[in-house]
Amino acid sequence: MSELLLIDRRWIARGVERSSTMRFLLWLVPWVALLALGIYAAGLCLYYGLNQTNMDNRFAFGMWIFLDLAIIAMGAGAFFTGFLVYILKQEDLKPILNSAVVVGLVCYSGAVAVLMVDVGQPLRAWFTFWYPNTHSMLTEVTFCISCYLLVLILEYIPVLLRNRQLRKVPSFLIFEHQLHKLVPVLAAVGAFLSFFHQGSLGGLYGVLRGRPFVYRQGFAIWPSTFFLFILSAIAVGPSFLILVTAAAERVTGRHLVKPGVFRKLGLISGVLLAMYVAVKAVDTLVWLNITSPSLGFGPRDYYSYWPISSTFLFAVTVPLGLFPALLLIMPITAGKRGWLLFGATLACAGVLLNRFVFTVQTLALPTLAFDDFLQYSPSWQEVATFGGVIAYGVIVYSLSYRYLPLFDPPKGADPNVSVD
Amino acid sequence: MFPWIDGFQWSVGHIIFLSLFFAVVLTILVTIASALWRTLSDFRTHRATEICWRMNFAELPDAERYCRHQLAGRVASRICDNAFECRQCLKYPEFVALPAKTPSQNVGIDFSNKLLYHRGHTWVRPEDDGTLTVGLDELAHRMIGRPDSVELPVKGSEIECNGMAWRMMKNGHEIQVRAPIEGTVVCTGGVEDGWYLRLRPRGPLNLRHLLRGAEVCGWLSGELDRLQLQLSASKAQPCLADGGTLMPELMDAMPEADWDTVLAATFLNV
Repeated sequence: MSELLLIDRRWIARGVERSSTMRFLLWLVPWVALLALGIYAAGLCLYYGLNQTNMDNRFAFGMWIFLDLAIIAMGAGAFFTGFLVYILKQEDLKPILNSAVVVGLVCYSGAVAVLMVDVGQPLRAWFTFWYPNTHSMLTEVTFCISCYLLVLILEYIPVLLRNRQLRKVPSFLIFEHQLHKLVPVLAAVGAFLSFFHQGSLGGLYGVLRGRPFVYRQGFAIWPSTFFLFILSAIAVGPSFLILVTAAAERVTGRHLVKPGVFRKLGLISGVLLAMYVAVKAVDTLVWLNITSPSLGFGPRDYYSYWPISSTFLFAVTVPLGLFPALLLIMPITAGKRGWLLFGATLACAGVLLNRFVFTVQTLALPTLAFDDFLQYSPSWQEVATFGGVIAYGVIVYSLSYRYLPLFDPPKGADPNVSVD
Repeated sequence: MFPWIDGFQWSVGHIIFLSLFFAVVLTILVTIASALWRTLSDFRTHRATEICWRMNFAELPDAERYCRHQLAGRVASRICDNAFECRQCLKYPEFVALPAKTPSQNVGIDFSNKLLYHRGHTWVRPEDDGTLTVGLDELAHRMIGRPDSVELPVKGSEIECNGMAWRMMKNGHEIQVRAPIEGTVVCTGGVEDGWYLRLRPRGPLNLRHLLRGAEVCGWLSGELDRLQLQLSASKAQPCLADGGTLMPELMDAMPEADWDTVLAATFLNV
């Protein structure tokens, strides 16, 4: 046991305070149990097929896709923070960059893992690259998410190689040094990829002519949902970062970043959310008054079914859209930590509800005269698989926080100083 | 994906989409290749050790990065921003001209005015034949005592300043000693000899980066204070020193202490 304690201590950076080994292991136990359950459930789905889920031909998209879309949107904080720091030179956000990379990596890798279970036949995953259907938004999503996951792994490597033991290997440290110098290139590529796949996830719904609830007109080949998904993702990404960091502060009992970082992230999130609400309002009006009637559908066809009603539309736009935007922008509320966190929580809840509406509500609504309004609830395997993803995220973030410099900037001069 | 793959179309959309995809993949691959190439290049051009040292130096706490001129009392407070490489420091001539204010007093540990000291607790002594003798200073010697094993570089090998000079093991703890100067190993010693390496310096001899005189006094005094704090009982309150000198074989005398941290701070490791 004392050997384990010694090993654990040797992997933690010198001068950094972390909880005791026992306490950390106790923290991990429930998450490891949940991860094990998730792996078991995913194994059932992969072995027996999708009959383990409550999805069917009508509900081809269920809880997995809804939550995948949500965590990919919330993981946008990674690319957006990288974009702000490396491209727009917002240096004051640098202390949170490593944490943002881990959050992004967890969100995207978790989403890809669930997609592998959802699509099935993971050994044939390469088919999507080898025989791409370039007319499908999903192809763009697959390509961009795969590439961006690779970018996130590359962005994570420098953080990983700065671990106290790994940095003792000179070639690791030099590679970290050189890769870190090229991270702005990766940040630019990541921004490009994220921009398109966040958009394509929205475009995926917007092009569904047979589903008037989500079908939208737009610009060139892109429906309006393409742009709305990008805007909502970059709006809630910083909010999710605030929440993750605040949760880490709560669990560890330490102040990890300066309040100014939270304030700035909140302001960025609030402004973008306000823009999103404005564009969304215009889009909804155009859809309800022009697009949808042209397809023979009116508001009554969408909002007269219990439990889904126009309340959802109102909730996404006002209490989970405009209200958090104001909370995050107004100095009187944004300056207070409680209100800031409340605003960030509402913003994230808003994007969750928005992705639920687009995924589940769309498929529940009848589109043909003989159709019925259908309901869907996930099976335990679906819930457990996603629970496993959440557990995986918590474990990776916890290990990263303990052993890697997530919030601890170099104490001395710039480590990337040239030695030429 | 490629023209010879079933389903490929020579349509504008297809070509644009795949071109963008390949451009992205190529950018990512070139980035990885470039980082690998630069890494190899750093090793080939012997810059790797200096980069590693500078990166590790940046991670050291402020208390371990005080400028030598602060230690000598020439300036009130200054953190080194040059990774202890005074040979490249533009401010060195300006500061060294100032009078040293740190009194030369007995700090409780022996040091010699004939030796030049490196912050990694090694000393350098220029010999008449142009070689340099390198050894462990008194503080490190008393702390470690007789090491369980010593792994010295082979004769003829090149070592870099601030890179690893030799490795020792003591009570299961690995101790990596940093080289105080670059050069070629011409001879190796050991604990009994009182020195570990004899080096032929590379290029014109420049020992400006090594501590001397009042700087050594100020530095060792601070090091003893640090050691006392690090070895004090956990959660003990700061208290006045009660005198005495550092006992020999300290690692054997206090096996329960957090030697990982103490050794890292002593030998400038992160």
